[in-house]
Amino acid sequence: MRGFTHYISGLAAATFFAALVGDLRLGILIPVIAAAAAYFPDFVDFKFGKFLARRDYEIDPAPWDEKKHYAPKLVKISELSEKNRYQFFAVEGTVEEILVRGSGKVTYKVLREDGSEETVTENYNSIVFTLNDGTGKITVEAFGDDYEFFEEEFGKIEEGKEMLVFGYVDVEEDGSLKLVVSDAPHPQGIADTIARAIEEAYREGERIVKIHNIRLPGDVYRRFWVHLDPPRREVRVEMGPIVTPGGVAIGGDVPEYRKYGIAKVSVPFIKTYPKPTRIDSFSGPEIAFRKAEFRGKTVVKDRFLPWHHGFSHSLTMGIIIGLVVFAFFKLIGYEHATELALASMIGQWLHVFEDQLGFMGSNLLPPITKDVIPGFKLGESGSGLTNFSTAWLMIAFMIWNFNRFTEPRPIPISDAKLLLYLIWPSIIGFGIAIVRSFKLRKEISELMDYYTNLEAFEELEEVGGI
Amino acid sequence: MAMIPLSELLIWSLAGVLFGSLISWIPGFHIFNIMALLVAVFGVGELMPVQAFPFFAIGAIVAYAYVSAISSVYFSVADESAVFLLFPTQRYLLLGRGHEAVLLYLIGAVAGTLVLVLGALFIFPRVLPPIYQATSPYITYFLVAIVVFMFMSEWPKEGDRGRTPAERLWLAWRQILGGILVFFLSGILGFIVMNTNLLPTTSAYTRLTPMFIGFFGMSWVILNILSNPPMLEQVPDDKVESSVYNTLKATFGGALGGTIAAVYPIITGGMGALVAGHMTSQRGDDAFIISQGVNRVIYYVGAFTLLFLPQLRLTRGAAAWLVSSIYTPKSYAEYLAAIGVILLSAGISFLFTYYLSKFIAKSFNVVHIKKLSYVVAVTLVVISYLLTGPMGIAVLLVSTAIGMMAAAFNTRRSYCLGGLILPVLISMTGHTGYFMHLLGLG
Repeated sequence: MRGFTHYISGLAAATFFAALVGDLRLGILIPVIAAAAAYFPDFVDFKFGKFLARRDYEIDPAPWDEKKHYAPKLVKISELSEKNRYQFFAVEGTVEEILVRGSGKVTYKVLREDGSEETVTENYNSIVFTLNDGTGKITVEAFGDDYEFFEEEFGKIEEGKEMLVFGYVDVEEDGSLKLVVSDAPHPQGIADTIARAIEEAYREGERIVKIHNIRLPGDVYRRFWVHLDPPRREVRVEMGPIVTPGGVAIGGDVPEYRKYGIAKVSVPFIKTYPKPTRIDSFSGPEIAFRKAEFRGKTVVKDRFLPWHHGFSHSLTMGIIIGLVVFAFFKLIGYEHATELALASMIGQWLHVFEDQLGFMGSNLLPPITKDVIPGFKLGESGSGLTNFSTAWLMIAFMIWNFNRFTEPRPIPISDAKLLLYLIWPSIIGFGIAIVRSFKLRKEISELMDYYTNLEAFEELEEVGGI
Repeated sequence: MAMIPLSELLIWSLAGVLFGSLISWIPGFHIFNIMALLVAVFGVGELMPVQAFPFFAIGAIVAYAYVSAISSVYFSVADESAVFLLFPTQRYLLLGRGHEAVLLYLIGAVAGTLVLVLGALFIFPRVLPPIYQATSPYITYFLVAIVVFMFMSEWPKEGDRGRTPAERLWLAWRQILGGILVFFLSGILGFIVMNTNLLPTTSAYTRLTPMFIGFFGMSWVILNILSNPPMLEQVPDDKVESSVYNTLKATFGGALGGTIAAVYPIITGGMGALVAGHMTSQRGDDAFIISQGVNRVIYYVGAFTLLFLPQLRLTRGAAAWLVSSIYTPKSYAEYLAAIGVILLSAGISFLFTYYLSKFIAKSFNVVHIKKLSYVVAVTLVVISYLLTGPMGIAVLLVSTAIGMMAAAFNTRRSYCLGGLILPVLISMTGHTGYFMHLLGLG
């Protein structure tokens, strides 16, 4: 769930202790520690874990310009190498020689909505020339829709013309580099790297991939999706439109011939969440690929944000927090250290429980338990319905506790009646969420059954993989 | 003192709307500062009957809640390399859709007005007094909780791309620590301004004005000057891209955040929006702008309306303090009249904002924002001088520097509210003397 939902749960936990409420009324604000304790698991993960976590592969489709903090990065030609294949860059230089001007036919594959492939052939105009920036020269190629745009932007391309060219780096058959004019990186690089990571994970046990997002001028982002397709043993990456941080598409669809990147995977893998991973604003995800047993077969499983929901999200951590809070506040002479420690522990436990309502789940009592217990799948972590229902419930508890611990009572009705008046929005919200969750859980269950009987898994068995 | 006749009440309310409309579109101007200037220079008794002042103020505040959309959309333009994250309104402007952003805001403002009026008629009088009575002894708890949450939930925007884990951690924490530094520097400045005779004691309720002009007004204007933003052609068409679902969700979130900020002291609209945004898990630029419209109407107008609520009569916001120092409405008839004035003022302000937005969208690149910003910067200096004298200019300079630090660290501008929150918390917890001693001030 969202950070504030956890935080307010800690605030509410403190109000269940009359001694702490009494302190608050006197202006002693120490009980706010319980809220900090409730938020602590996410604080540790998102302020430390995320940055300190291991990354075996770092996929950066469009590196940032270091000064402007967006792509494309302006680079010198001499800085480019084969390692930059499919990445999106800008190069500034002078047109040295026009190699080809012409037209022809381009053939490429597109994916239909049902996942099948279609081969398309189109006529195109093109230009190929060399660009020199003083540190070296590179072949620049523009064709299809990108050629039309290129011509609109620069007019007729002549030798000696100075220009700033955007595009992705590609490698010719002879190993030389070229820059293909485009407004996005080519998705093939992303697909290839993920496929390699899955295969290595099958052999070595685990590979963690960091996928960076694509930030463009004007605080907008190029959206792309990563589809892990176990039945077809494919990783497919689809380049999408330009979107705002709020997720509104503002155009900039890429042409079909550089929209998809498809990489075949030679080992069985499964995807635990039935939707593609979408990457756009804020930051890109980390995905761990881990070798695991799945219904008697060896496969590679994905784990989204592997640094998240670790030890910090366990009940054991709650006990540690309680002990530390107790020791510290006892030491400084706080009269209600025991109540504060209990409130802090309960606050952290509420966090663990609330997250358990979602998908990821946690290893609840390490070191006694070893495995992650899957979430109850009541709703996604960003669901407005479950977040609001929980946060409202906590606000209701706070008002209720404040009222019952005050004499004379500011709201002079019975405790049960007041609680009922306050919590009905949460009851309705949770009711709707539970009804909705049945559908999603059914989908996931069907998907897992489907995986079990997949031919894709059996094939590898024949060659001794499983 | 009896309530003034309805005809007079309407005239002064309309005068308030006109006054608010004329100044609220100017970047860096805040209705509270200009009203304070008006009272300081002219005095109320001379200018209008004291019983009319609350209605003049409510007209001006409603106009501000609507018309200020113009300055935040059109005159907060940004060169995308100057700031890390753009506000959705700035992004709309860069896409030539400034007028659409204003229309989305207006949808929110109208929704906010309706929620406020319905709430004021049917819910506030019954529900607010008992809830407020039950929770008001714990206001410092909520306040500290929100401040701690702001620090803990700061989203590190830059750490992701460091080459090593240590570099990533440093890049992330540079921003977080920058935010904490801004909060405490603002707090120390606010503490000094509130507790010493740095500014003339005659300035009374306008003492904080230069500080807030610096934090939020002047730093914004200077950023406009420094960033040399592009003045892109705008589409003046009456078209918005949103959905009924997003509008309803944004209205709910905006109303929740606005209500929290309106009812509880020191909690501002931005802080309320942060809380409500998390609670309702809001996403989408259109929803954000709509919720801003709802939030600002309920925060500014709703907070002021509480001054009229007979069973509660809460003084919330600088305008309410200013008005209550002259005249506090007492009767239920005045409360109902205030609700009527809100509806009337909202209608006029809506039309004014709509046509002004259309006009500006059509002529957006005629005058560069830089030129307007220079004029506004000089005016803000003059206002500070008139209200608080030469030391006010010194406070303005320091607070402007702090406001710009927030932008330099890519952190929340709202950390500047430390200038208000920290001294109030120190005072509420009885530590003013200790801190005076710590800072060598007494």
